[in-house]
Amino acid sequence: MKKILLSVLLSTPFWVFGQGFQVNLQGQKQIGMAGAGSALALDEASVFFNPGAVTFLEKNSISAGVNPLLFKSAFRQTGSNITEDVKNKIAPPFEFYAVWGPKSQKWKLGLGVYTPFGGLVDWGDNWSGKYTLTSLNLKAIYFQPTLSIKITDRIGIGAGFVYNHGDVNLQRALPVNFPDGRSGKATLDGTGTGYGWNAGIYINTLSNITFAVVHKSKVVTKLNGGSAEFEVPNSLQSSFPAGNTFNAELPLPATTTLGIGIPLSSSTKLAFDASWVQWHVYKELAFDYATNTSALADTKSARNYRDGSSFKLGINHQASDKLALRAGVGYAFSPVQDGYVTPEAPDADRYILSAGVGYAPTSHFEVNASFFFEDVKSRKQKNIETGLDGTFKTLVYAPGLSLTYKW
Amino acid sequence: MKKYILNSFIAVTLLFAASCKPEIDTPAGTSAGTANFSKYIAVGNSLTSGFADGGLYLEGQMVAYPNLMAEKMASVGGGSFTSPFFTEAQANGSGYASLTALVNGTPTIGKVTNNLAFRDAAGHLTKYTTEVQNLGVPGMRVDLAFAGQFSALNPYFERLLPDAQVGNTTYFQFVQGRNHTFFSLWLGNNDALGNALNGGVTVLTDPTTVLTDKASFALLYSNLINSLTANGQKGVVGTIPDVTAVPYFNTVTVSALLGAAKAINPAATAVYIQTGTGAVRAATNEDLIRLPFQNEGLFGVPTGGIPYGLHPLNPITNNWVLDKDEVAKIKDYVNSYNSTIKSLATSKGLAIADTYAYFNQVKTGVMIQGVGINSAFITGGAFSLDGIHLTPRGNAVIANVFIDAINATYASTVPNIDITQYRGVKFPN
Repeated sequence: MKKILLSVLLSTPFWVFGQGFQVNLQGQKQIGMAGAGSALALDEASVFFNPGAVTFLEKNSISAGVNPLLFKSAFRQTGSNITEDVKNKIAPPFEFYAVWGPKSQKWKLGLGVYTPFGGLVDWGDNWSGKYTLTSLNLKAIYFQPTLSIKITDRIGIGAGFVYNHGDVNLQRALPVNFPDGRSGKATLDGTGTGYGWNAGIYINTLSNITFAVVHKSKVVTKLNGGSAEFEVPNSLQSSFPAGNTFNAELPLPATTTLGIGIPLSSSTKLAFDASWVQWHVYKELAFDYATNTSALADTKSARNYRDGSSFKLGINHQASDKLALRAGVGYAFSPVQDGYVTPEAPDADRYILSAGVGYAPTSHFEVNASFFFEDVKSRKQKNIETGLDGTFKTLVYAPGLSLTYKW
Repeated sequence: MKKYILNSFIAVTLLFAASCKPEIDTPAGTSAGTANFSKYIAVGNSLTSGFADGGLYLEGQMVAYPNLMAEKMASVGGGSFTSPFFTEAQANGSGYASLTALVNGTPTIGKVTNNLAFRDAAGHLTKYTTEVQNLGVPGMRVDLAFAGQFSALNPYFERLLPDAQVGNTTYFQFVQGRNHTFFSLWLGNNDALGNALNGGVTVLTDPTTVLTDKASFALLYSNLINSLTANGQKGVVGTIPDVTAVPYFNTVTVSALLGAAKAINPAATAVYIQTGTGAVRAATNEDLIRLPFQNEGLFGVPTGGIPYGLHPLNPITNNWVLDKDEVAKIKDYVNSYNSTIKSLATSKGLAIADTYAYFNQVKTGVMIQGVGINSAFITGGAFSLDGIHLTPRGNAVIANVFIDAINATYASTVPNIDITQYRGVKFPN
C-alpha cells in the first residue's frame, strides 16, 4: 500500500530534427548563391548538387572547405519578460570533393564527403526549457562515391551511393530534485549508420539554358546501442539503471530538386533551384531503452512533419579571369507544424541571403569564400507534448572558405 | 595578401555574427494596466504563508506564491514586499517533514528538528512584529478571522502580534490599516478542509474542525472584501480547491489497502469503515482515507483477534475516513463558498484566480514547460510531503494562475514566473 509508482517522471521524450537540421552548406560557390546551382556545372560540388553535371566539369579537381556556423536562437516564455539565448558555439559543417575522369572520355568519377544534416544547440543547464532539452550535438556525415556519364554532348546523368555516419548527443534536465534542490539529468549518446543514394540529370539546351532534376533519397539512420545515462538521486537510481542503452531510428528526408541555369551573358549566370524536402517520413520519434522500469518507459512521440520546400536564386559573375562574385536569395518553408516546434530545432519559415567571392591566382588553384545568412522567422508556439510555451527567434550566420586544386 | 583579406573577412563576419543576437519583443513587464502594485499585501492561510511539508520554514516562506508574484510585480511598479521570514539561525521554523528514504517506491518520511524557531517549550514561535505584507497565517479561516482568542491559540498568528494584542486582535483587524494599493485574498480553504482533515468529524472543543456555515461564510467573506477594497483598492481573490484534489485524500486508497491485505491474507474481501453516521460498512473507492493513516501502524493489527479495518467488528474509525457522504457534503460546502467568493469578487470588479478549476486540472495532470505536474503524492511535483501544501514548483504554478487572472482583469502585464526554476519534492541521495 505504500508503493509509489514513479511513472510519468519521464513522460516527455527527447526530440530530434527539423528543417533547422538541414544544413545548406555543401559547396562554397553554391553557398554564395544561396544554395542554388544544381543546373550549373560549376565545380566538384556538383557531386552533391547534381551528379549528372559532374561529367561536364572541364577539369579534374579536389577541394575542401569549411563553414563555421553560428546558430543563434533565442527564446522567450509566453508571459515572460526574459529572453534566453543559446550559447555561442560554432558548428563546423565541412565539405570535401574529388572529381576525376580521363579528359577524352564521357565519364567521370566523383567522391563527396559532406554534412547535410547537423545541429549544435546549447541552451545551458538552467534555461526555462531545460526539462525538454539542454543541448544537442548532432552530426550526419555523408560519404558519396559517384559516377557521372555523358549520354549526349548536352545530357549527363549521374548517381552516387550514400553512406551516412551519424553522431548524436542529447541532454536534458529531469524534473526530479536532489537534496540540494538541483535537477536530475539525462544524456543520450549514440552513433548510427544509414544508406541512400543521390541521382541527377543535367540538360544543356541549345540556347544554353540548363536544366537539372536531382533526387536525393531518404537516409534512415539507425542508432543501436547508444548509451543512456541518467543522473538522479540515489533513491531513484533503481528506476534509472546504470549502463542502460537505447535504440532509435532517425529518418533523414528525401529531397527532389528542379534547377534552371540561365546564362545572362558570357560572364554571368543565374541559377534557380526549387527543392521539395520530403519530411513527411518523419511521423514519430521512438526511443527504445534496453532496460525499462516503471519510471523509464520506451517513448514514442508524434512528429507529424509535413513536406518542406525551398526556393533559391543565385547569380555568379565572373568579373575577370581570376575573380568571381556571387550573391543569392532564398526562402524556405518549414516542415514543422504548429504544436511541434522544439528547442533543438526552433523551426519556422526562413529567408536566406548570401554572398561569395572566388579567386583563382593560377589555372590550378582556386580559393572561394562565402557568407551565408538565414533569418528564421519568429514563431510563438506551445508544444503539444511538453507544453513548452513561448516564442523562438533564430538567426544563422555562416562564413565559409574552401581551397580547390584543379588539373 | 588575398588570403589575408579572406581571413579578415571571416574574422569580421564571425565577430559581427556573435554580436547580432536575435531579439524577441513582448509586452510582458511593461504595464500595470489599471492596477497599482506599489504596495501589495497578501491575505490568506498556510498557502499564502509558504507553509510546506507540514511546517513553516524559511525555504518555503521565500517561495510562497505572493512572494513570487511580488518579485514579478516589481517590473510594473511594484514596491518591496516584506514577509515574516525566520532568521537563518532559525531557518527550519516549526520543523518540517523530509523524505529520508525511498526503497522500492516506499517512502520513509522523517522530521527536520534542528534550527527551529520556538521561543519556549509551549510551542510559541520567535516573534516577528515589524511590518509585513505577506499576512498569510497557517490555519487561518474565514470564520476564525473574526475571533480574537484565535490569535492566542494559533502560534503562527501569535508570532506576528505584540503581546498586548495577543488574544484580542482578530485577523480581520490585523490585515487592516496597511495602506495597501493591491491585495490578494486566498482564504476559506480551512473552513472546509479543517473538518475534512479530521475525517469529517467536528470536535466541539476545537473550532478548527468546524465546517463553517454557508451563510456565515458569505457574510464574513463580504466583510473581508469590503474592508480590503474600502479605498477602492484592486485585488485578486482565489477560489477554494476541491478537497478531493489533494494527495492527502487520494494516496491511501481503499483498493490499495485491500490489495495490501490480500497480499498477506488472500481471504480478505473488504475494508471496513465506520461512517459519519456511525454505521459500519464495507468501504468503496469513493470513501477517502487520510494520508497519515499509512504511518499509523493500525491497519490489520488485531484487537481480540479481529484485524483492524478488515472486519465489521473492528472498522477503520470515522476520524480516519472521509466517507462518500462526507465527501459529498464537503464538496457542497466548497461549491457554496466558491460561488460566494466569485459573486462578491465580481461585484467589486476583482480578479478571480480560479484555483478550484486549476487544481482539478492538476488532478488529471498538466504539462508545463516540459514538466509533468499532477496530484500524485511525492512524484506529482506540485504537492509537498504533507499532501496538502505546495512545493516551490507548485507555488510557482499557482502564482502564475494568480498573475494570469490579474493581467486578464486589469490589462496589466505582470510577467509570468519560470516554473522550471523551482523544485518539486527533494529525493534523498
